[in-house]
Amino acid sequence: MNIDCNDCERIFLDGSPEEWAALEQHASACAGCAEELRAWKQLSTAAGELRDCQESPALWARIESSLRQQRAALAPRKSLWTSLDFWLHVSPAWQSALVGAMVVALAISSGYLYTHRAVSPVDPGNKLLKTSALADVERTERDYMSAIDKLAADAGPQLGADTPLMASYREKLIVLDSAIADLRVQAGENPSNAHLRYQLLAMYQEKQQTLRDVLETKR
Amino acid sequence: MGSVGLTLPWEHKLSAVARDGEWRVEPFEGKAGTVRISEELPQDAAVAAACLSGNLQGYERLYQWQGTRMKNLARNLLGSQADAEDAVQETFLKIQRSISGFRGQSSFVTWTFRILVNTCHDLRRSRIRRKDQVNEDVDALPLRRELRAPGAHPALRMALERALGRLTAHQRDVFLLYEVEGFHHAEIAGMLEISETASKNTLFQAKKNLRTMLEPPRSSAMGGAQ
Repeated sequence: MNIDCNDCERIFLDGSPEEWAALEQHASACAGCAEELRAWKQLSTAAGELRDCQESPALWARIESSLRQQRAALAPRKSLWTSLDFWLHVSPAWQSALVGAMVVALAISSGYLYTHRAVSPVDPGNKLLKTSALADVERTERDYMSAIDKLAADAGPQLGADTPLMASYREKLIVLDSAIADLRVQAGENPSNAHLRYQLLAMYQEKQQTLRDVLETKR
Repeated sequence: MGSVGLTLPWEHKLSAVARDGEWRVEPFEGKAGTVRISEELPQDAAVAAACLSGNLQGYERLYQWQGTRMKNLARNLLGSQADAEDAVQETFLKIQRSISGFRGQSSFVTWTFRILVNTCHDLRRSRIRRKDQVNEDVDALPLRRELRAPGAHPALRMALERALGRLTAHQRDVFLLYEVEGFHHAEIAGMLEISETASKNTLFQAKKNLRTMLEPPRSSAMGGAQ
């Protein structure tokens, strides 16, 4: 086989055994190719220096322990898949039939539940009467309103006085009445809204306290 | 082209044995772990079957058979013994997790080393990320080298390690798998999911680059000659 200096790299890349032998023969008579060949082979020798057989006596124990832990963690998942394995052995026709049957059963049970659902005998507006908490709130509101009416009757003459202080009280009571009216409208639309009920009670308390202040001023 | 800078007395001849038409220099002839996997197919199949059955003894056999080579490759890819051990451990865990997906399309060892190489790249990226040096280009990541036990040619080894760190990750993988670990191009192709020709081309480029890097500067070479 005839080999010349131009064949060197091609043989380094992917030379056949015969070509390598021919290159070696050529290199014995060619200083340039001999140097190329020597340097190329030297890299392989140097690579051997990167073989490091440093012992790691504890490594296998570490790996084994982690493998055991992982196996234990994977076990339930495996059993789940194993339990579903039967599905793979069912023919596609039977799979379709089973899925269809399940869909029909689901539709029938849903329809039954929908048509036989419990219907409330009371309309939604009176729902608050069902709960004792809301009944208590309404009773408290009525008590406040009753107490406020009595206080308003007592404080009426003083509030009519033409003084800056009474004028200020009158304005405050107008604002409170307006706020109470708004909240009562909102509470009527949404009786079970606890937040509105708390606000309304706070307004009643404020009006009650304001009327007491007016009566205190008289004394 | 000049010679490799750190010269060694060349004592190795080209191997007289051609493996399946593939001619290679055999600088590590006779050392453990250089036997072609296909020559050990019965053992490969036996270990794979043992691992598939979930028996931990199968993994132990794999470790005894390939553990040193796995650790060595990981050490060269990651630069430190501790990282290499972490990579080998993680590889075994990944094997256990995905063993049911092993279809025997390649040898079990080839499959194992494919997982190892990917694990090493992942670990290297995460190590860099931990240091807030975000760089997705794995080629540009510096290798952290720690000292090894002294070998026959420590200076040559250090120079080679430095030069390897300047290769692309792909070239480094192929060079280490072929020249250091003794795998064949067909096996490397399976591990790196490339063609056999690509493996040969990459090795050729890697060696050309290494040679350039290890070549002494012209001036110093001239000075040394005087």
